[in-house]
Amino acid sequence: MIDETTEKSLVKTLKIDAKAIGIPAGAADIFIQKSLAAAKKSLASRKLITEKDLKRALVKELKKYSADFAYVYENRDKII
Amino acid sequence: MFHRPRLKIFLIFSCLLSSTLALENQPPACYNLNMSFFVSLGIVILAMLIMACLQLQPGIFSLFYHYASGKYSKSRASDMTLFFILGAETAAACLFFCSYLFANLFFFYRFRPETSFFAWVMAGILLALAFMGFFCYYRAGQGTKLFIPRRCAQNLDHAARSVKTRSDAFTLGALSSVCELPFTLPLYIITSVEIMEMSVEFFPSHLLTILYIVIPTIPLFITRWKFQLGYNLADIQKSRVKDKAFTRIILCFSYVAISILFIYFRILT
Repeated sequence: MIDETTEKSLVKTLKIDAKAIGIPAGAADIFIQKSLAAAKKSLASRKLITEKDLKRALVKELKKYSADFAYVYENRDKII
Repeated sequence: MFHRPRLKIFLIFSCLLSSTLALENQPPACYNLNMSFFVSLGIVILAMLIMACLQLQPGIFSLFYHYASGKYSKSRASDMTLFFILGAETAAACLFFCSYLFANLFFFYRFRPETSFFAWVMAGILLALAFMGFFCYYRAGQGTKLFIPRRCAQNLDHAARSVKTRSDAFTLGALSSVCELPFTLPLYIITSVEIMEMSVEFFPSHLLTILYIVIPTIPLFITRWKFQLGYNLADIQKSRVKDKAFTRIILCFSYVAISILFIYFRILT
């Protein structure tokens, strides 16, 4: 189960990323919600979900909608 | 006439030898002045190349531009990035003049016998930076993780994310210049004195000072221009990852070249 505050801040960050990449706001909302739902579903069987697990699952889902969006989310902490 | 290769080589060598002797027969003051000028110019140009190759500032800048364009309108983000660049340039200018004062105060670099120890220390630091530029500038693994501690990188990321005003952007730009100091401080010390000691009438050293401060920020202007053309953080980061090995090699060779120039012309000669 993902913490509610974590999910809120994650969605907020993803929305900023999506806008910066140039994805329209409506489409970004749909991408994020669908990806989060799919990621939650794939991680549902696990007892303990780490940040890395969540990131990996979310990247996998985001790649289906926008490769650049997934790349930015995956590599944000590897830029500096 | 030149059918025999040995004769060819002999003639080339004799020409080279005669030109060298002719150079040595010139008045020593004039020769030293010219050599000194060109050595200084070479050191400054190599230092500019290194400073333009360093990746911390463009990294912070691209993160900052990304977050700013995600939160604000395009025009506001573009406006704020100008203040980031201005901050970086102001910090570079301050560091340049501080390092000049520092070098003068401690006689680091006056080519006197009593200060040659400090000159050797500077040369050693440059060689160590060449080694570090190749092996330690980028952390191992995917992406372009840099030498700065991870906590510091997280704080810089957080600072880039939470910029709200122009003054914040200016401060972040200045901070990015300061964070690069482990790799730039010896360059600032050496180049500041090299530029200030250039005493050739036809070449204004102040112009070179301005160029030295402005040229290292060219990558920031290029990144800004790319963002304005429609490139996003993913495109820019992919190109940075692609150029990682090349940057390493350029950094290493440039530091080695500066240290060789410095040791040969400023300490041994």
